[in-house]
Amino acid sequence: MQALLVSNALLWLAVLALGCVVLALVRQIGVLHARIAPVGALDTGAGPRAGSPAPELLVDDWSGRRLRIGGASEDGRATLLFFLSPRCPVCKELLPAVGALAQQERGWLRVVWASDGERAEHAALVRTHDLAARAFVLSTPLALAYRVGQLPFAVLVDAGGTVSAAGIVNTREHLESLLEAHARGVPNLQAWRASQAGDRVVGMTR
Amino acid sequence: MSLPVLDPALQAVLRASLALLFGLAAAHKLRAPRAFALVLAEYRLLPDAASLPLAVGLAATEIAVAVGLCAPALAPVAALAAALLLALYAGAVAINLARGRDAIDCGCGFGPRPLGAGLLLRNALLVGAALAAALPVSPRALGTVDALTIAAGTATAALVFAAADGLAARRARTA
Repeated sequence: MQALLVSNALLWLAVLALGCVVLALVRQIGVLHARIAPVGALDTGAGPRAGSPAPELLVDDWSGRRLRIGGASEDGRATLLFFLSPRCPVCKELLPAVGALAQQERGWLRVVWASDGERAEHAALVRTHDLAARAFVLSTPLALAYRVGQLPFAVLVDAGGTVSAAGIVNTREHLESLLEAHARGVPNLQAWRASQAGDRVVGMTR
Repeated sequence: MSLPVLDPALQAVLRASLALLFGLAAAHKLRAPRAFALVLAEYRLLPDAASLPLAVGLAATEIAVAVGLCAPALAPVAALAAALLLALYAGAVAINLARGRDAIDCGCGFGPRPLGAGLLLRNALLVGAALAAALPVSPRALGTVDALTIAAGTATAALVFAAADGLAARRARTA
């Protein structure tokens, strides 16, 4: 009886320890996911193609200022279009990160926040995230022109008016990877993987 | 037909695990009730105005279930309520999957996760556990070894659930 008790207690200890290890491994996978894929957001096939000219539109922002989206930029800065909706919780979680990004990268990057729908629906969002002072646009034509399907969606347009990268951005990492894609000239994750595979093939034949 | 009986230690593990799950779920909802209300609104099953009261109501029900599971007199009823609640969630997920609205956040874990068949499987397993927790027990006095079984069994259940659910959520997000 005593022996069984000891063995039982020992087994439980082992099971619990293994459970902790498995949980730690699962979390580690998440960390690796955030680190492994440095380039490009997830390209869903919808939205503008990287390398194609960005659709040109004139839109009014929340406070009535006229903005030009697409085309060669007047101040030589690239444009990041961040598509959101007041009904998308992930978008709201990302808003502070987008705001910080706009502040940090303002030297070369103009950020435009874009949504569509009723103005009243957005009032609370504009208040909490101080969007009135920023380039916040309510425009259905804009969302249609950029063929936005799933949210939160972001499009990076370079200073010449060409789409450098576009995709769904669920996390801060995705968002930063758009900028990374711009910097490295690789439009999305799929293209990055393809180019890596190409390198390996070259390496083998050498 | 008579119901199968369960060993009391096994039943205690089931009840404690479910109570832990519901307690944590309610705490997570109550920490950000407005965010959860937005998630509920995206299910598009009820008018928007009902989302916040529903969010708070669901959290309160989950607390009641968690507390009920710990009280021997109330536990069978609480376990059935837990099964019903889990089936209700699965139904809401199934309706939106059928509508093709699988990109919405399920609001069912500790991070954003899209809807999927995996969630239905998860809830089916949990409904099974909840129904089992409502079964009568065989008469047996619990001893000190049972205390070890119950405590370690519950902790293991929590760890395995967290790991399996974490993996499934990651798969769903990156699929």
